Amino acid sequence: MVEALPVFRRSLGDSWRSLVGWTAGVGGAIALYLPLYSSINGNGQMDQLIANMPPELVNTMGLQQISTGPGYVQSTFFGLIGVLLLTIAGTSWGSSAIGGAEESGRLELDLAHGVGRVQYSLESALSIVVRMLWLGGFAAALVIVLNVPSALELDPLNVVAASIALIGLALVSATVALAVGAITGRRVLATVAGAGVAVVGYALNAVALQSSDVQAVSSASPYAWAFQNDPLTGGMDGPGVALLAGVSLVAVAVATVALRRRDITG
Amino acid sequence: MIAAITTSELHKAFGSVTAVHSLDLSIERGTVFGLIGPNGAGKTTTLRMLLDIIHPTSGTIRVLGQDPRVGGPALRRRIGFVPGDLRLDGRIRGRSLLQHYADVSGPVAPGAIDALAERLDLDLGRPIHALSKGNRQKVGLVQAFMHKPELLVLDEPTSGLDPLVQREFLLMVREARANGQTVLLSSHVLSEIQQAADYVAVLSRGRIVAQGDVASLRLGSIRRLQVTLSGATAEEVRAALASSAHLRDLEVSGDTSVRVTATVQGDIDAVVKTIARYHISDLTVEEPDLEESVLNLYGEQGRTERSENNG
Repeated sequence: MVEALPVFRRSLGDSWRSLVGWTAGVGGAIALYLPLYSSINGNGQMDQLIANMPPELVNTMGLQQISTGPGYVQSTFFGLIGVLLLTIAGTSWGSSAIGGAEESGRLELDLAHGVGRVQYSLESALSIVVRMLWLGGFAAALVIVLNVPSALELDPLNVVAASIALIGLALVSATVALAVGAITGRRVLATVAGAGVAVVGYALNAVALQSSDVQAVSSASPYAWAFQNDPLTGGMDGPGVALLAGVSLVAVAVATVALRRRDITG
Repeated sequence: MIAAITTSELHKAFGSVTAVHSLDLSIERGTVFGLIGPNGAGKTTTLRMLLDIIHPTSGTIRVLGQDPRVGGPALRRRIGFVPGDLRLDGRIRGRSLLQHYADVSGPVAPGAIDALAERLDLDLGRPIHALSKGNRQKVGLVQAFMHKPELLVLDEPTSGLDPLVQREFLLMVREARANGQTVLLSSHVLSEIQQAADYVAVLSRGRIVAQGDVASLRLGSIRRLQVTLSGATAEEVRAALASSAHLRDLEVSGDTSVRVTATVQGDIDAVVKTIARYHISDLTVEEPDLEESVLNLYGEQGRTERSENNG
């Protein structure tokens, strides 16, 4: 029988071990950082430490608000370790889905079967989105669980908003990697592209934070789209998330068109 | 009746390199068609175009009556394909991988996968990455045969298989033909094509240099001969063999034990009777590699190009 979403189902089946690993990594990072909040901020030493740091560094790392619960969670997890982990996971998924499959010789056999290329590309993208929703959802749930015991005073709805921003940001790297893999058939180029988008976005955001004169450059930074309005305190940033989702959709469309037109050479 | 495969003026260029030159093929339904040629002759490129994995630069293709670019997944479900460079990997178990392809290209009759695996002596419970090259190749064969497709396109399907499994494979090909399925089989092993195919096309440097039924192509007429003998001097042996019209590249060396190598083209009887006069301590007669025989038999052009490359 021809059953629904075969590429999607196989992709999840092939990658559940890796997903368990990433979930453990995200869980470990949250469980390590969040409980430290009360002990670090208990006696005002943190504020003193930050006052003595170079302001450029404080701006880059977003440490101004670190003595509040939302500021602490933003600058440790959502804006830093979480971005790092989800971006690396997404980039590796995106680059292996088409570019990696072609290099490994698997794509040739897969596409010789009763699967269309549009279907292959879209189901691969769907698999990445679903895995990313799982990682981001898991992060949100764990942060909410630790909220009260760690005295973070977070609004759970804002935690969800920050997770959505994080998922959207990581998906930009993942889908860019998917598209470059589909265009070139090369895993390395796909990985460089996905990671490159993340690094450049982070750098542009950091530059923009240094002075209001250069703030405009943040409009080109996916990192800024996700976090410039601080969803952990301000809630869902609709336009920012829409921008992230839009870029990802365009990247998936590019991947699909590129795969459709190309020779698969393995 | 519509032919299973026709190509006309089929052309494929990768950048400035032309891999396939104005290829005209016609393969009747219910036959086994062999495509032979040395590595790099354009066999894999041709077969990939039939499956729409790569697109022709120009020319037309009809597979089961349809253009592969238009036929899409529905057409490919009617084809079983073994890629020339089959690389399978991953933790997925053989059975799950085959079930995935069955989901995509099925329906597969219940028990068909297990029956094929048993025939080929393949353990489906092991992860693909733990399988030997030969066993991965068996997985490749099972996924091509399991849904009994109308057309089988097999690119060097026996590479890495041991002789027993190769024999089983040839049986499977014959059964497929008896079943009304069409088989397009590429190989660089002559004997395989001779045993399995009804018709053959010889491909060299992207062009068909000969085609017809297997017997008419005299593909078996070239042999490499190596003999070690005693009871005569090298000069005597050379003199005895030199008169034979069927020998080329004759080399004779040694004194007490004389070593002879030569290429026999055509009738081998006279040569065997000549050397039978001496005491023979070792004798091998083997098929030349395909490149040699194809170029010798059909490729005057290929031959000159080859010597230019060597020079």
